[in-house]
Order: sequence, then C-alpha cells, then structure tokens
Amino acid sequence: MSGAAGRMREDLLALVPDLGVWWYALALLPLLLVALLLLGLGRRRVPPGRRVVHRGSMAAAGLSAVGVAGVALDRPVLELSWIPSLGVSFSLRPDGLSVPLLLLTALVGVVATALHLHPAREPRPEPVDLADTDPTSPIPVVRGQDVPGLATYHACLQVVLLGALVAFLAGDALVFFIGFELVLVPMWVLVARYGDPGSDREGAALRFLLVTVVGSSLVLLGILAVASATGTTDLALWAAEGGASLGRGSQLAVAAVLLVGLGLKIPVFPLHTWLPWVHATAPTAGSVLLAAVLLKLGTYGVVRLVLPVVPEGFAAWSPLLAGLGVTGIVWASLVCLVERDLKRLIAWSSVAHLGFVVLGLATGTQAGLQAALFGNVAHGLVSALLFVVVGGLKHRWGSADLGRRRAAVREVAPRLGLALVLGMAASSGLPGLAVFWGEIGSVLAAWGPAADRPEGWFRGFAVLAAVGGALAVAYTVRVLREVWAGDRVEPRVPDAELTERTALRLLGLLVLVLGLAPTLLLGVTAPFVEGVLAR
Amino acid sequence: MSLELGLVSVLPVLAPVAAAVLVLLLDVAVPGRREPHLVLGAGGLVAGLLGALPGLGLGAGEARSALCLPGGWCAYRADHLVSALQVCALGAALVVLVLTWRDWAAPGPDGGPEGTGRAPVVTALLLAATAGVVAVPASGDLGSLLVSLELATLPTVALVALVRTTWAADRRARAVDGAVSLLTTSLVSFGLLALGAALWVAATGSTRFDGRAQVDHPQLIVLAAVLLVAGLAFKVSAVPFHAWTPITYAAAPLPVTAYLATVSKVAALGGLVVVVRALGPVDGATLVAVAVLAAASMTVGNLVALVQQDTVRLLAWSTIAQAGWVLLPLASLSAQAASAAGSYLVVYVTATVLAFVVLTAVVAVSPSARATSLESQRGLLRTHPLLALPLALALLTLAGLPPAVAGVVAKIVALRPVLGDDTWWLALVAAVNIALGLAVYLRWVAVLLAPTPTEAGPPPSRVPARLWALTGVLTALLVVGSVLPVGAL
Repeated sequence: MSGAAGRMREDLLALVPDLGVWWYALALLPLLLVALLLLGLGRRRVPPGRRVVHRGSMAAAGLSAVGVAGVALDRPVLELSWIPSLGVSFSLRPDGLSVPLLLLTALVGVVATALHLHPAREPRPEPVDLADTDPTSPIPVVRGQDVPGLATYHACLQVVLLGALVAFLAGDALVFFIGFELVLVPMWVLVARYGDPGSDREGAALRFLLVTVVGSSLVLLGILAVASATGTTDLALWAAEGGASLGRGSQLAVAAVLLVGLGLKIPVFPLHTWLPWVHATAPTAGSVLLAAVLLKLGTYGVVRLVLPVVPEGFAAWSPLLAGLGVTGIVWASLVCLVERDLKRLIAWSSVAHLGFVVLGLATGTQAGLQAALFGNVAHGLVSALLFVVVGGLKHRWGSADLGRRRAAVREVAPRLGLALVLGMAASSGLPGLAVFWGEIGSVLAAWGPAADRPEGWFRGFAVLAAVGGALAVAYTVRVLREVWAGDRVEPRVPDAELTERTALRLLGLLVLVLGLAPTLLLGVTAPFVEGVLAR
Repeated sequence: MSLELGLVSVLPVLAPVAAAVLVLLLDVAVPGRREPHLVLGAGGLVAGLLGALPGLGLGAGEARSALCLPGGWCAYRADHLVSALQVCALGAALVVLVLTWRDWAAPGPDGGPEGTGRAPVVTALLLAATAGVVAVPASGDLGSLLVSLELATLPTVALVALVRTTWAADRRARAVDGAVSLLTTSLVSFGLLALGAALWVAATGSTRFDGRAQVDHPQLIVLAAVLLVAGLAFKVSAVPFHAWTPITYAAAPLPVTAYLATVSKVAALGGLVVVVRALGPVDGATLVAVAVLAAASMTVGNLVALVQQDTVRLLAWSTIAQAGWVLLPLASLSAQAASAAGSYLVVYVTATVLAFVVLTAVVAVSPSARATSLESQRGLLRTHPLLALPLALALLTLAGLPPAVAGVVAKIVALRPVLGDDTWWLALVAAVNIALGLAVYLRWVAVLLAPTPTEAGPPPSRVPARLWALTGVLTALLVVGSVLPVGAL
C-alpha cells in the first residue's frame, strides 16, 4: 500500500473495532434476514405498510454498508469447509480488486433501497388537440406510496445486493458463481413485476434472464474446465498457477468460453443488445443496480477468472476483444445521437463506457488494467447518478420519450438539472470528473500495449476510442439541449425530493472526489495490478 | 459350493417383498378392508428405508453384501452410492403411498369395497415394483439385473391401468391407453436389454459383474454396453425412447405419475450405474451413444416443455429433459461419473416429488375442473403462498438457479466429468440447455407470481394435513441441501 492511502488506512484501522470475520456477518446477514422477513410478511393477508418495509430495508442496507466498510478496512479472511466432496470451501477473501467494487455495491445498495418505488401506471395519454399547446399536467406525487408487493420488491433488492457482495468477496470460483447467479431471479422479478407497464416488461425480463443465464452457464463451463485441470477451485491457487497446467489449446478454449460468457454480462458489442431494452423497462432502483453493480460482475469476472488464470488464452483473444470494445464505443455513441428514449440513451452510454474498460483490460499493461478498474468504478458511480435522475424524470414525465415537448429541467427542477449536468459532463469524460481518468488511461494504454499485443492494431483502436470519446461530448450536448436547456416552464414537474437529493449529493460528491484525487482509488488497486501483471 | 447369506444387508429389498406377500395374505384373512393393507405397505417401505440407512455411512470401498460365493463375488452388493439410491427410492415410494392413500382407500361406486378388490392389489404392486427398483443398483450379475428391472417395470403397467371404477369411462380408457404404451415400450426395450446381455456374456464369458472381467473383445463389450444403455434409456425416458412418457403421465392418476417420474427413474439409473461400473476395463473412454442420448433428451425435452399448457405434461417433458442431465455424466465412463449421475438423480427426485406433492395439494383445494392446467395456477403465490413457495423452490431446483443452491450444485456435479473429459460439444449443449430449462421452469414460476385474477370463486377447501407434512419435510430437505450441499455422493 503506497503513501497517503496506506497511512490513511492505518489510521482508520486503529479506530475501527476489530471484529475479524464477524464483519462478514454484519455485511451479509442483515440482507439475508430482512429479505426472508419481508418475503414472509409480504405473504400475509394485510401486508406491512410502506414505512415499515422501507425503513426495515434501509436499516438492512445501512448495516450491510457498515459491515462492508469494516471488511474493506480490516480485510479478514474466512475459510469454511462447505462442499467437502467437491473440495469447495466457503471462502471470502477481499483484495485490492474487490474492495472498491464492494464499497461501490454497498453505497449503490443504500441508494437503490432509499429510492421510492412508484406505483405502476400506464403512460399518460397525450390529448391530441393539445399537442401543440402547453398542457398543464397534474403533478404526480413523488414520495413513497403503498404499492402492492412493496415487501417483495425490497426483498428482491436485498437479495440482489447479497448475491453481488458474495460474488465480489468470494475466494472460490464456485462461490463466485453462486453469488453471480443469485442475483438473477430477484432481478428478473424486479423487471417483470415492477417494471414499466407501458412496455413489454415480461419480455424484457425474460430476455435479461435468458441472456445472462447463457452467459453464466458458459462461465460455469470455463470454471469447471479450469477446475478439472488444476484440481482445485481456489481462486488464489488458480492465479498463482497462472495457467501452467493447461495447454495452449485448452487455454484458448477456456478463455473463449469465459470471455463470451462474461461478455454477455458486461456487455461487449455485439452481445449488448439486451441491455438498453432491460434498462428502459426496469424500475429506477433496478436500473441503478443493474448498471452500477451487475455489469461490474462481468468485468470483475474477466479480471478474476480470465486475466490471471489463462494469461496465454487471454493474450490471444485480446486484440479481438479490444476491437469489439472499440466498436462498442463508437457504435453506442452514434446510437446515443439518435436515441429517442432518455433511459435507453443512458443505457447505450453505459455500453460505450464499458467499451473503454474492455479496451483497457485487453492492453495487458499495468496502466491499462489500472485504467480499466478505475473506469469500472467511475462508470458505476456515474451511471447510478444518471439513472437516479433519469428514472425520476421518467416518473415525473410519465415517459422518457425525448420527442415530446416538456418543460426545461433547468427551469422547473434545478436540482435534478444540476445532477443531470454533472452526470452527463462526467459521462462525456470531462477532466476533473471521475470517468476521465479511466478513459484517458485506457486510450493511452492502448497506444502502447504490452509486448505480445499487435501494436499497430492497438494504436488504431486508441484513435477510434478517442473518436468515440469526442462523440460522447456530442451526445452529452444533445441531451442537455433537449432536456435541460430551454425556457419552457410547462408542464411543471416537482424537483428532487429528500431521498433523491441525498442520493444525488452523495454520488455527485464521489464523482468529483475521484475525479480530483484519482490516487485514492488507484492506490487501492495498485498492489493487485502489480501482483497480476508482475509475471 | 457354499453360499453366504447376509439377510440383514438385503433388508431394503426383502422388507417391501415381504410386505407385498403379507398384504395379499391379509386380503385373504380380512377381505373388504382397505386401510390395513396400506398401513402394512407403509410399514414395509419404512422397514426397507431403515434397513438401507446404515449404508449411507459406508466409506469408499466398503459395501454391504449378501448372497456371496467363497470367491468373493456377491449377487447383492450395496455401497454408499447404491444405498443412497435405495434410500431415495424407498423415500419417494413412501411419499407416493401417502399421496395416494385417500384414493386407494376410497370406497367403490356403491359405497362398499371396490369390486376389483383394488386396494390390496395396487398396494402389493407398488411394493413389488419398489422392491425391484431397490434391487437393481445392488445387483451383482446380469440375471439379477434383468429380473429386478422387469420386477420394477411390469407392476407399474398395472398401476397405470388399475384406476378407480368411479372414474368416467373415457378417462379410464385413456389410462388403459397409457398403460399399453408403457407396456409396449418396455417390451421393446427388454428385447434390447436381452440382446445386450447376450453380447455381454459372449464378450466376457460370464454373467457376473466382478469389475475385473476378462475382456477378449473390447469392441463387443462396448456394443453390449450400448444396447444395455439403450434398453435402460427407455425407463429413464431419454429421447428417442421417450414416446410413452407424455401419454402415460397424463393418463395415469397423479400419484402413479409421481411414482413413474421418480422411483422408476432410480431403477433405470441404478441399472446404468451397474453397467458403467462393470465396464471398469474400458474406463476413461467416452461413450458417444450416451452423449448423444443425453444431448437429444435435454434439448427435445426442454423445447417441447416450453409450449405445454398443462402442468403434468410440462413435468412429463421436463422429466425427459432431466433424464438427459442424469445421463450426461455417464458419457464419460468412470466411477466419478456414476456417482455424479446418482447425486444428480437424488436432487432431481426430491424436487420432482415435491412438485407432485404440491400439485396434488393444488388439485385438492382448487375449485376448477382442470386444476392441473397452467392457467388455473395463476396467482397461486397470493392465494396459497405456503404451496406456491415450495413449488417455486422445487422448480428452481430443477432449473438449477440460486436460491435453490442444491440444484446448482447438482448441475455442477453433473457437468464436472464432461469437462474433465474435454467433451466440449456436449458441455456447450448442456450450457444452452441450462438456459432453455430455465425458460421452461420460470414460465411456470411467472404464472405463480402473476397477479391474481379478480373473480371471486367459491371459498377454497383445506389442504389435507398429510400433504402439509410431506410438503414441509421435502421443502426442509431442499433448504438444507441448499445451505449445506452434499455435492457428489
């Protein structure tokens, strides 16, 4: 641990109580217990009221966040024999790679739980004869309401968080896989039951589920192939071995299977088609979790299961991977210039950002990997921020269609407007905001890739990625012009309410802090990166 | 030549057989009574279960044998895996007996006993079939294998056909149809089995499975194994020997369907395990025939299950798909593969039995005439949460998706030998089928989760206590299996 970050960690460590592995109990058990409790209570004839559910759920997410913070500072190691006949132990072992993602998950979890679920309703019909005038719509209530199935909704959120935390903490490949799969059913319920009723939410949910399950089945095949070659499922042993027990052919096959499986999850062009649709349909909290946490499982999987485990296979596929990542950047940025649905537009911009992450991973250099890990976390924060804003706007407007004439957000909802400007500016890679470091780092790393990568191709990718970055500015300007700027004040929509304000301030502050002091995060991931690419 | 008996070890087989005989004797002693037969039958199954339980504690290489010759060969040999299969079969048979209790103890059309004297007959048939199932995996030679397989199969034909005389005539006719298709397929497959057995004897010169058979013609023994596998594939209802399954499942009474879908499968898999273990000399080879059967079964089963509108038919086709999963590890002939298939089967049987128990309960409480249709279960989670949650757990176990970790671990165990062999094409087919299977089972779960239709039906009737008890026990088994998975047996 280098310099200031290391000293800060030591100072903080002196303050926190030494709970050891009990931090895990604090991080995981509240989520599990509250989820079970809410599932049980939700089945009663008279379900519990909104306040009970919301506060109980918030308490669980908050306690879990405290536990995760403790885990991040203390980094205890838990090893329990779990499935002896398969040699699987329930081992939780956070390191420099997983700690930032754990903190991100805990934070986004609190934000997603705090957001109110709005009752599902059909989109408001536009009166035909008033289409060219300024209709004054009734102001919808934005605070929480008693929505049917609220307890189940919160239970699903908690299980998603639980699964993501287990996956990031896991020190065993099969435990990672089980955490990875645990998020699927609750996420499916969130989209299918609480999604936008104006769209085909069951179709979107099923598409999400089938695509991700195909992905995770392929990941399982890859894991089992490595496990049968090495005779263990311990991730630390896999990384230490570095693919020595697999021949070149097996490395290529395993890397291909794992990259396709994880590429469906990340998602990498051309496997990304499910993402915009699901984002457009999911409830706000679902979108926030999907963008900020679930997509990270894919990139985390690449760094954990592919990069150190089958280095030769990954090196062989990385030019193709980088090419697809860059194609995704340019393609998604172009789509963002014409997309008419605001929520789907943000989803497309996610595809572009993850293209930069994939490019950084594929370069095979320490700088590239650092940039990718940084970009990963930065994208989590920025997309969570943008989805909170956009989800709120969609609820207020009744739809997220950009073709409709609406009041300028700057005029009627200045707080939401400010958050939107901040989020879009960060998303366009403005220096001083978080995303910048990830993107510039990826482009620079692609200009000078590792020795075994084709330099000419990667330089071309770097240029294309830079062009994609410029396109990001263009679509940012488009969004701000269509949504934020202007002088229309009708129909009025209410500004951010308390939970949204708090969430946006928190996320916005972190975007700024990471943008101004990137070493805070780079210092945490550096030891891991040096460990992986020292060989 | 002295034969060493070891009757205590054979108790899992002897107890149901003895109970079957006693049931028939009892019928002579007290004709017209119905409940005592069922009690006696349950007693026989419980005694068999208790007799098999000690086998679960056996370590590697240990076995409980009986009917042994001085040379060390035994006609009956139950090790850890075999005992687990026996416990699974006897437990599932017991559940089926409890499920069908009300039906078999029901009076005939005029309030008196059924004119056919049905209760003792069906009880004896169930016990006989179960004894056959339990004997299959422990059999030590071809003769015992074939005889016990037929003992496991033929009584089930009668079980399908012997429905209550109070049923409508067309429904009874359909039950006979189902029985006939089961009978026809079983005869054809017995022909294959006999041919395989003959080739086996020709190849090894012995009917005994002693693991170290002198192989003169390796090609011949592989051909024999393929024929034996094809004969057994009918019982496990693998494609293309599956045609009887949807017809028979939909025609038979629900508990008998549950029996066919669970206990009978143990016999088939037990037979496969015996064959695979006896093939020790050609260990390590990949049996392409089994791989093709497995891939075809899961794909066809899942694709057809996707469009079913009736839950029993959906379960029937899902059985075919799951048969593919059971066969999957056996494509690589090894001891690890046999235990993987056994472990998968135990999880599958538990989940399927639970699904059938819940289905029986739903039929008991549902006012609608077509209670097994998918549509009539819309909103079950709201109307009967305590039935819907176990059902959802069972379906997720079959699909292999957390929170039902037991199902995930079973899938992992089944896939491991395949990847150990580098049979990538089969592994990829299996991966696609995980997604397909998920689509099948989640279609059902989505119906359970859907909002309740608003129509106010008649007040729902109560679920019988015995069904609650069964649901509770089986759900507890799956939950424990998810928290502390056993993995490979």
